Amino acid sequence: MILLDFGYERAATLQQAAAWLARLGDGAHVLAGGTDLLPSLRAELVSPGVLVGLSGIEPEPPRLTADGSIRIDALTRLSSLAHAGLVREKLPMLADSALAVGSNQIREMATLGGNLCQETRCLYLNQRHDYQFAAPCFKRGGDCCHPFPRNDRQTCWSVHMSDIAPALIALGAELEILGGAGMRRIGAAELYTGSGLQPLSLGRAELVRAVIVPPPPPRSGWGFHKSTVRGGLEFGMAVIAVSLQLAEDGASCCGARIAVGAVRERPLRLESAERALVGARLDDERLARVAPDAAKALNPLPHHGFTRRHLLDNVAVYLRRALAQAAERARTGRA
Amino acid sequence: MSELSYVGKSFRRKDGPDKVTGKAMYAQDVKLANTLIGRILRSPHPHARIVRIDTARARALPGVKAVITVEDTKGIKHGFVETPRYPPDQEVLARGKVVHVGEEIAAVAAVDQLTAQRALELIEIEYQPLPAVFEPEEAMQPGAPEIHRSHPKYEGPHANIGGNTETAWGDVEKGFAESDYVREDRFECQLRTHGYLEPQATLAHWENDKLNVWTSSMGSFVKRAKLAKTLDLPYSSVRIHKTYVGGTFGGKIDLYSHEYCAARLSMITGRPVQVVASREEIFSAYRHAQPLILEIKTGVKKDGTLVAQRIRAINNAGAYRGSGVVVIFLAWGFTMIPYRIPNLKYEGLSVYTNHTVRAPQRGHGAPKVRLAIESQLDMIAEALGIDPIAIRLRNARGPGERLPNGDDTHNCGLSDCIRLAAERSGFLDKFGRDRKSPPSGTIRRGIGIGVSAYMGGTLIYPNGSGVIVKMNDDGSAVVLTGAIDIGQGSETVISQIVAEELSIGMDDVRIISSDTDTTPQDIGAWISGMTYVTGNAARQAASNARDKLLQVAAEKMGVTVDQLVLKDKIVCHRLDPERRMTYREVIAHSVATRRGDTVIGEGYWRTMRDEANHPSLATTKGRWTENYAFSTQVAEVEVDIETGEARLVKALTVHDCGFPINPALVKGQIDGQISMALGHAFMEEVITKDGYTLNPNWLDYRMPTIHNMAISEDVDVITEQYRVGQPYRSKEVGEGLVSGILAAIANAVYDATGVRLHSTPFTAEKILGGLKRLQYQAKTARQAKTEPVRA
Repeated sequence: MILLDFGYERAATLQQAAAWLARLGDGAHVLAGGTDLLPSLRAELVSPGVLVGLSGIEPEPPRLTADGSIRIDALTRLSSLAHAGLVREKLPMLADSALAVGSNQIREMATLGGNLCQETRCLYLNQRHDYQFAAPCFKRGGDCCHPFPRNDRQTCWSVHMSDIAPALIALGAELEILGGAGMRRIGAAELYTGSGLQPLSLGRAELVRAVIVPPPPPRSGWGFHKSTVRGGLEFGMAVIAVSLQLAEDGASCCGARIAVGAVRERPLRLESAERALVGARLDDERLARVAPDAAKALNPLPHHGFTRRHLLDNVAVYLRRALAQAAERARTGRA
Repeated sequence: MSELSYVGKSFRRKDGPDKVTGKAMYAQDVKLANTLIGRILRSPHPHARIVRIDTARARALPGVKAVITVEDTKGIKHGFVETPRYPPDQEVLARGKVVHVGEEIAAVAAVDQLTAQRALELIEIEYQPLPAVFEPEEAMQPGAPEIHRSHPKYEGPHANIGGNTETAWGDVEKGFAESDYVREDRFECQLRTHGYLEPQATLAHWENDKLNVWTSSMGSFVKRAKLAKTLDLPYSSVRIHKTYVGGTFGGKIDLYSHEYCAARLSMITGRPVQVVASREEIFSAYRHAQPLILEIKTGVKKDGTLVAQRIRAINNAGAYRGSGVVVIFLAWGFTMIPYRIPNLKYEGLSVYTNHTVRAPQRGHGAPKVRLAIESQLDMIAEALGIDPIAIRLRNARGPGERLPNGDDTHNCGLSDCIRLAAERSGFLDKFGRDRKSPPSGTIRRGIGIGVSAYMGGTLIYPNGSGVIVKMNDDGSAVVLTGAIDIGQGSETVISQIVAEELSIGMDDVRIISSDTDTTPQDIGAWISGMTYVTGNAARQAASNARDKLLQVAAEKMGVTVDQLVLKDKIVCHRLDPERRMTYREVIAHSVATRRGDTVIGEGYWRTMRDEANHPSLATTKGRWTENYAFSTQVAEVEVDIETGEARLVKALTVHDCGFPINPALVKGQIDGQISMALGHAFMEEVITKDGYTLNPNWLDYRMPTIHNMAISEDVDVITEQYRVGQPYRSKEVGEGLVSGILAAIANAVYDATGVRLHSTPFTAEKILGGLKRLQYQAKTARQAKTEPVRA
């Protein structure tokens, strides 16, 4: 049950929404698709004074910009994103990552911006506390950490479980942020602070307006994998996104971007693994060496019943497979 | 009449159109004017003394119409089991002490949700927390925190024993001594829940000294008995109305506190009160199934003949008795039924812990017991160099065998089930294939088998079912039955039986069901007996009406009854079909000549006719039933040996359900059980810590989706026949088939990988861990071979 004791304003434009947010202060929350916010309201993880609804704003369809980048409105529903011809053709990894989210009903409601700005999760945080663990944790304003009782650092070790953020990071995407001071542009990874308490770097009245993805370079390929237990209707135990570019010789790697989500407070870029690949031949042996090292470097947080050991094992295998798939795509030029 | 027109055919479900068009009314859909919202205050502690409760501020809140605590009840206890040995043990609201997180302490009725929620927040309770214990083997230790005293008749050394079952057959120690091979294993299962989609919901309205209740349930007459008792009302003052039910799987029998609270709050306020449990409440405070620990020791001859088996079951029974003492009794049954084992010894302990109370869940212990026995049987077969089919055929019970409890296996079809399952699945061709010659790539395929048996219609309140068939003037019929259709299709099955017996169309049968004031008493949909018990009652009622029609027609036509036949609402002469009367004419004649007799048929049925004995939960003495269903199931799985991820690819069920009244419904039961078993095997677990539930939602409690469902094939081994006018025997098919397939999956995972798992769920982590251990063992074995032996 959601306790409906808050106000509601329906914004006609994103600028109007930003202005309201600036005026209303911390008590205001943005409601786009609602698939992340409504469960948080139900769990009383957020208790807004006012919800600023964005459902009245029609998103622009994804389009090619002058420099060949693809601009996608943050209010694009995930089902539209997954099925948009332009996205499917030019950015199949992004389309696949959108298709990996939740279920069809969820994708029909959820928006791209909402997916990137979703709440972090742990088995304790995202549920009602009226008689379960009545003591609030650090993130709920209290003085403990239920999953990690020895965590005395006033911090929160919950994980950010977006399926799309790793894909955007691997694709080198940027975000347009709209705020009181106008527009700014940041790399997709910069949206995240790495703190479970305040996972987003957005200012109080700032909103993600659009995602801009550069065109994939020539001789590049991608690999994406979401590890789950039942293959759908769940968050990932780990989400892996890889972009590789081959040099003109068609064998050695000249560019690599690897991102892993759902294992830390933010999606992580694996720069040491990227360095280990650039300049090297992408043969099975190298991939088999790089992947387990990369997994270890992740230092995953045990989450949702998965142990650190198992997350390492799982990421090591699927990262290797994703890299191999990306290399294969780069070699053959097939999407 | 030899040919059957309705029975044995896959008629469309009677409730189908209502459900798929959204017209079906569930308890939550019933609306009455001026309904108040009821909410329950729950314990935030797993174990604590309640020092003080102050409801004054909640009562003073505008919009709050009533607040109750245990002081507002009559203090009458209830229990899943209510026998002299196991008297009722649970108050409807906590008194003085709470023993699990989420235990009900107080309830409010208010004008809306928000007010009810505010009122709960205004109730002040002072707790004195007590040490809590969650693992049964810790709770059993002397000196463990005492949740309740051990049962007075329990003489052993352990603490927190809610009840125990002990029984034996033959001489187990002598059996072990005579065995060529003996092995011991231990198996454990996770905490699982039912996963009914319709939440627990109750609407109660006290009006004119009568309590009307709409509640999501699996047995209206059990609900009436328990509500009337705890409210101290005569049964005639409580009416449970029919609603559609959106799934139960064992989780909606017995009395729940919210049902009492809705009723009591309505009696106090005079207004209807609705309580709907949230999904979080269902996961974190309601009843789940029972995780069993099973220790099993088995002795066999070289040829695989079972000689002796000793089983000890420890049940993590939660904070009240619940069905904890029943599952340890039933576990004996699931041990002794399928195989001929001359020496058996069984001990079951039901241990209190500070978890939520337990309920039956589809199979009520059988999946766990069969998983243990069938896994170990495969290990024994391997050690002896016998294949899994041969060892099962060697020990399978046959027809007419006497079971240790005195029951008879009657037309047991188990050997046929095993043979057919092996044949249809190509078992012996596939078994061991990937272990002997591993294919390239990372996917390994395995095949496994499991055997199970289940009893139907065992006696427990209300023990018997009655049915009334009323003929309408036009020859159609109205059937009054207490049977509750929880999705299994009881109304369809009863309609088929009545249509067959009366030779009228399916659309001529209208069912009025599960209303305690208008329908006869019924056993309910929770002891696997409805098709047999209520079905035979319906057959008898229809048959009774048919006999009356025949007598009236014979009289009017001047012939004897045996010269007449019934067909499509017409009675006609066997040899001269032109001599005929329509049912309309027959009924009109009956009313005219038999002092207004409108033709009403009565029927009733009870398992084991008038056998006096209920089985004793403590000693297992006494007969259970005349109906045992046997089954053999085969699983084929795929395992990725790099990740440990496994999935069920194909399931085959060969079962002996007696006679299938509606084969499509039987198939539905099978597929549903395959799906539940694969959830048990690979995905589902209620994760708890310190008594708190960490995954109280559909997102983190992972039930299989349709995409996880495997190909499910089935074969009926039909051992019984249906004849119009004769009693028939149908056997259980609604819950016994979670078991064999679960064991088959475990055996198939072993066949694919060589990894033997002793606990469910079979997560990728456990399988991968097993594979790593095997690699390590192989490596050290190689090293041992190559290195010289140290002096």
